[in-house]
Parts: sequence; C-alpha cells; structure tokens
Amino acid sequence: MNLIEFPLLDQTSSNSVISTTLNDLSNWSRLSSLWPLLYGTSCCFIEFASLIGSRFDFDRYGLVPRSSPRQADLILTAGTVTMKMAPSLVRLYEQMPEPKYVIAMGACTITGGMFSTDSYSTVRGVDKLIPVDVYLPGCPPKPEAVIDALTKLRKKISREIVEDRTLSQNKKRCFTTSHKLYVRRSTHTGTYEQELLYQSPSTLDISSETFLKSKSPVPSYKLVN
Amino acid sequence: MQQGWLSNWLVKHEVVHRSLGFDHRGIETLQIKAGDWDSIAVILYVYGYNYLRSQCAYDVAPGGSLASVYHLTRIQYGIDNPEEVCIKVFAQKDNPRIPSVFWIWRSADFQERESYDMVGISYDNHPRLKRILMPESWIGWPLRKDYITPNFYEIQDAH
Repeated sequence: MNLIEFPLLDQTSSNSVISTTLNDLSNWSRLSSLWPLLYGTSCCFIEFASLIGSRFDFDRYGLVPRSSPRQADLILTAGTVTMKMAPSLVRLYEQMPEPKYVIAMGACTITGGMFSTDSYSTVRGVDKLIPVDVYLPGCPPKPEAVIDALTKLRKKISREIVEDRTLSQNKKRCFTTSHKLYVRRSTHTGTYEQELLYQSPSTLDISSETFLKSKSPVPSYKLVN
Repeated sequence: MQQGWLSNWLVKHEVVHRSLGFDHRGIETLQIKAGDWDSIAVILYVYGYNYLRSQCAYDVAPGGSLASVYHLTRIQYGIDNPEEVCIKVFAQKDNPRIPSVFWIWRSADFQERESYDMVGISYDNHPRLKRILMPESWIGWPLRKDYITPNFYEIQDAH
C-alpha cells in the first residue's frame, strides 16, 4: 500500500491508536488475502479466468490464484462435477488447509443444473460432497457476479468467530436415508471388457479368422508395414 | 441409384459394399460388412485415404443395430478439394464386433475407445480398449437407446 495515499497516516493522526479485537484483526487479514485454487471443469471457469485478467482483476481483492491446494484458502467449484470427478474434488478440498471456503459457482454445482433431470453421471449439487459457503447462481455467472459472491464471502468472514468455525467443522453429518449399499471388490482390472460382456475367445483369434475369410486381393499386414 | 466413382472402383476390384447415397456435399456413403472392414480399410489406405477425419458411433434404432462411422479424406499437396468418403459399418447389438482401424489410422485410438465406452462396440485388435469417459467400474452403455439410467442413492442431507 502506498503510504503517502493512506488517509489514516497523515501528519495529524500518525500517533493515533486503533482499538480492535484479535478476532477482527485475524478476520480482516484473512479476508483480504483469499487465495483461490485454480480449479475449473467447464465453461464456468472461462468466466472465472476472465477475473484473472486486467479488466475484472481480482488481485485487488487479494485473490492470488494458486495451483496447489495446500496454498489455497478458497475453492470456486467452476463447472459441472461428474461422479468420476467427485473423489478428486473431495480430495482437493481435504488437502486445503483450514480455514477454507467454498463458493459453488454456477447452476451445475448448485443443483446439477441442466443435467439434473436425466443425467447418469452428474453430481446433483456440490454441497453433497463438500460444505458450501456461498451459492453463486448463473449459467455461467458473469464475472461481476463472481465479484459479488466474493464480497458476500468477505462479509461472512469478517463476522466470523473462531470458535464457531471450529464447531461447525466438527459437526457430524446425519444421513436420513438408510441406504443398502455395501462395498464390493473393485472391478477395475483393465481387462473387464472380456470378463463382463463377451464370453468368447481372445480377439486375436477371431480377427484372423475373419481376415482369412475376406476376399482381399492383397494381404493387409503387408500393406500396412 | 447413381453410383459414385469410388463405388465403381470398388465394384471393378470386386470389393463387397453397398452404396448408401450421397450427402448434401456430394460425398458418397458406403456400407461395408464388419467382416470385410479390416481388409477394405487397408485397400482404402493404399488407395490414398491417409486421413481419418472422424470416427463416431451411434445406435440406429431401438432394437436395431449399432453403426460405426468413418470419415476419410485423401490429403495431398496442392489439392483444394480433397477426395472424401464416408464409411458406415453396422453391427448387431447382441455381439457388436467391428475390426479396429487403429493399426491403419492411429488417430482412431481414443475415438474407438469413446465409441466403445458410449455404445459398446467392441473393436477387435484395438490395443487398449477400455472406458475413456465413464468410470472404469461402470456397467452398461449410456448412449444406447435402450439404456436405462440406474437409480443411484443421493445423499439427502447436504452439508
């Protein structure tokens, strides 16, 4: 900060005292250096990425995009989260140090968006996976809307009391549905396509048979090599 | 039906095929039996179709067959309108097997894997035919017309 332009530090008030609490000071320092994780899975990230540039410039809010979750305080879940992506997202969130904040950006991460009716692979709302602080609607939200969500998050952080935050983190999640899912052995073997579907000899035998039956004037393996 | 020059060329060389007509740009579409496809693909490659522009697959109709579509182009120096052709290979749903063209056009690698993933066509001789978009443990072929989306338990209470 430029000391000459700082209004509190002129000649008359240089010896004045500011009274605050440690809690407020800690909140103030945290909200002015929210480092977001560079995370994006689809079109919402295009809007988010325009904030990095000079036109919308979120560096003025102290947001420095980090590529490592260990250095990030904030994750904007920009884009659709599929069930294949969900374990990675939870892992990224768990790798972030406390205190951490989540902005669910876009319709897809709030409810599943346009994929919420009949998709076979979309997670219906990222709050099923990680706790969300600010919901930011839009498809995709404009960069101004992202700034608005950031302002709301900063307001939320400024009112925060340290004990409350740790209490809410330790709260147990309760499940109302008693589902009957049970863990089974992984089917990830790499050769499942033969095991699950086709009870037939190996592909090499079949293709050579069909190859010999075909009436090609020139053998194909000679031409290829 | 009027036959294109490539169809005539294939007839002259006794290659089994069926012409499916022309699209709006006058590009001929040929249907080829799955058993003949590996040898005919080599013939087309030797003829000069050195570029597999796209490979895709679709489910023709409920209860019908599956189709694997190949768009081939003949790329040469100094040619403005390169020759193109569209090949369709149909396969039955109970045992959808089509020879892979990976060893002829290497760009078919991921596209045949996606066709396998989405409609479940098994490409013979593909080096690593496994799911590319869906999770490895997924069962079923999501883009088939008779696919039923599985019920999955959502967590009712969000954070």
